Amino acid sequence: MSEQPLLLWAEKYRPRTLDEVVNQKEVVARLKKFVEEKNMPHLLFAGPPGTGKTTLAHCLAHDLYGDNYRQYMLELNASDERGIDVIRSKVKEFARTRVAGEVPFKIILLDEADNMTADAQQALRRLMELYTATTRFILIANYPSKIIEPIQSRCAVFRFTPLSKEDVVERLRYIAEKENVKYSTEALETIYELSEGDMRKAINILQAASALGEVTVEAVYKVVGLAHPKEVRQMLQLALSGNFTEARNKLRELMLNYGLSGLDIIKQVHREIFSSDIKLSDEARIMIADYAGEIQFRLVEGADDEIQLNAFLARLAFMGKKFRPTS
Amino acid sequence: MSERLPWIIKYRPKNLDEFVDQEEAKKAFISWYESWKKGETEKKAALLHGPPGTGKSSFVQAFAATYGLELYEMNASDYRRKGDIDRLLRVTASSGSLSGKGKLIFLDEVDGLNPKSDAGGLEAILQLIENSKHPVVMAANDAYNPNIRPLRDVSLLIEFKRLREGAVVQLLSKICEKERVRCDKDALDVIAKRSEGDLRSAINDLEAIAEAYGKVTKDLAMSVSTYRDREYAPFEVLRRMFNAKYIFQAKDAVSSANIDYDTLKVWINEHIPTYYEDPEEVSRAFEALSRADVYMGRIIKSGSWDLLSYAMEMMGPGVAYARKAYSGKFKAFKYPERFRLLSETKKARELRDSIAEALARRLLTSKATVKSDVIPYLKVIFTSNPKMAAGIAKAYGLSEDMVKFLAGSKASEVMSYLKKPARARKT
Repeated sequence: MSEQPLLLWAEKYRPRTLDEVVNQKEVVARLKKFVEEKNMPHLLFAGPPGTGKTTLAHCLAHDLYGDNYRQYMLELNASDERGIDVIRSKVKEFARTRVAGEVPFKIILLDEADNMTADAQQALRRLMELYTATTRFILIANYPSKIIEPIQSRCAVFRFTPLSKEDVVERLRYIAEKENVKYSTEALETIYELSEGDMRKAINILQAASALGEVTVEAVYKVVGLAHPKEVRQMLQLALSGNFTEARNKLRELMLNYGLSGLDIIKQVHREIFSSDIKLSDEARIMIADYAGEIQFRLVEGADDEIQLNAFLARLAFMGKKFRPTS
Repeated sequence: MSERLPWIIKYRPKNLDEFVDQEEAKKAFISWYESWKKGETEKKAALLHGPPGTGKSSFVQAFAATYGLELYEMNASDYRRKGDIDRLLRVTASSGSLSGKGKLIFLDEVDGLNPKSDAGGLEAILQLIENSKHPVVMAANDAYNPNIRPLRDVSLLIEFKRLREGAVVQLLSKICEKERVRCDKDALDVIAKRSEGDLRSAINDLEAIAEAYGKVTKDLAMSVSTYRDREYAPFEVLRRMFNAKYIFQAKDAVSSANIDYDTLKVWINEHIPTYYEDPEEVSRAFEALSRADVYMGRIIKSGSWDLLSYAMEMMGPGVAYARKAYSGKFKAFKYPERFRLLSETKKARELRDSIAEALARRLLTSKATVKSDVIPYLKVIFTSNPKMAAGIAKAYGLSEDMVKFLAGSKASEVMSYLKKPARARKT
């Protein structure tokens, strides 16, 4: 029925309780202890994207408080709600009332904590101390090294490992069966390769591929091709042919029309460099990859995506002659 | 061999007698200090204010030297945190000192205080003023900056005026004598005029010319000395920067912009290819700008404002010296394309943002992740399977505009699926 609401599978098939979680066994076992004891320290979940950090935090809260857990949990997103002032006032408001049930504390979930500035983290550390009687923090980070030491030392640290191929493929198979989608195992394996162990991305690709019909290897590649604008390749080719200005125009199109971040773009550039569709000598591929890596690093350190990528494109335009195969 | 000090430090007044052309400020301060000591002041602190290079910091140092006071000084980069101020209070808490000298507390550049990020800092300074056993002096370019109003309220304001041209010329010629550099009187007139009462910039100009040419003539002064510290429109900044003959000119150019550094960065980003045609120059210039951007990123993330000077050096001289040879081209610089594109694509970006907002909480992730990892696949679904798309639109309450954004030319098909049930119920 067309008028039925249809959830994104990434939401529909998300585990709701710790028992439903199939991977990260070690982490899950430790978290279950907290549920038994109805007590826990501050937690720091660290690991690559799409490995279940946020999901497990929600499962933990669910098992502690029951179905209405979200009223006992304050969810803050460090990158969306910039500014420690916002965080401070929200935490203050939230921590004021006590929990009625058996669990003597409430949970504050702070996603992408590694995106906070060092100053904000210092302020956060004081908040953690101030409200420790009534609240527990769960901090989530991709790069734990970017969390200042005093915070790390106040938290029990949980390291999330990238999902294995079996874990991802099995989950995709389970969803495909439930949804009555025709698929080939090869296609599911291709999804795993393309999603780089990120479960959320894998499920999104599966759903988008199913929107085209049967989930085949071709359909998977088509989806990923459609989702990744071809302008990236065009931009690279323009730069390599020495046309910096046109390459920059493509870059702006990608950033403004497609809403891609600098990191999205450089990662896609990295994939393109090694694709056979771009004619380059192997030596050139390695040199470009090296510089792309440097630029990716600077993107994380820097402030302005376009400037960093312009530096990359300008280098390509300058070196272009050298890179173009003579044959 | 003695260490070579910049003249601006070497010729700083050692005591109040050497401190010239701020007689009123001098008198006002001394009388405030005397009555402070007797405990008769109405205002517990003094706030020295005036344009850059008019001698506020030098005055405090000269005063401390003349009155034999131990000076406890903090400037903008130091006193950001409340703890630092409190420490200062503790260190200076005792009424005497080991050496038996009195103490003077000096907080420089208080208008650099950020009321949001340094919230505790401002209160801590007020506390310090209230509780200190020693006089507290502050300095600011702009005493009427709303951020420091609470400080202004408890302070005696003492104004430092721009120096008179005659006074600047006199000081410059004294330095010329001591340095044994031939300085023409008309050259000093030019430098003094262009300094607009900013003694620091005048001495810096004098030193730059003398260092490079061994003499200071009117022609040299005309070509090197610039009107400085006064603000410039971005296109002028770019012209001065790209055409700078010397590193310091490029550096001055970027520090004299009437726009903030982030905006200036965008202007330079836009015009590197306008100014340079050679791909090697373009690449080198962007490399320098990229480095500048990294420093700025680190400043934002770590709050280390002392990195700013590296950022400026990469942004100005770094980009200007990407050239293989000096040419002094004249180029027309126009308003950056990026700003125009940003305003043109505003609606689309807002739509993408509101879709991300609608989905982020449900998918337990951030808006940024929805934008990069979810919306691209949603677009595939919306453009290839209108029926599935309609179901999703319904589940997440997506508006018609949002559907149009995701489905493009297929939007009407998606909408027809969405509207069907209403018709179905009627029949």
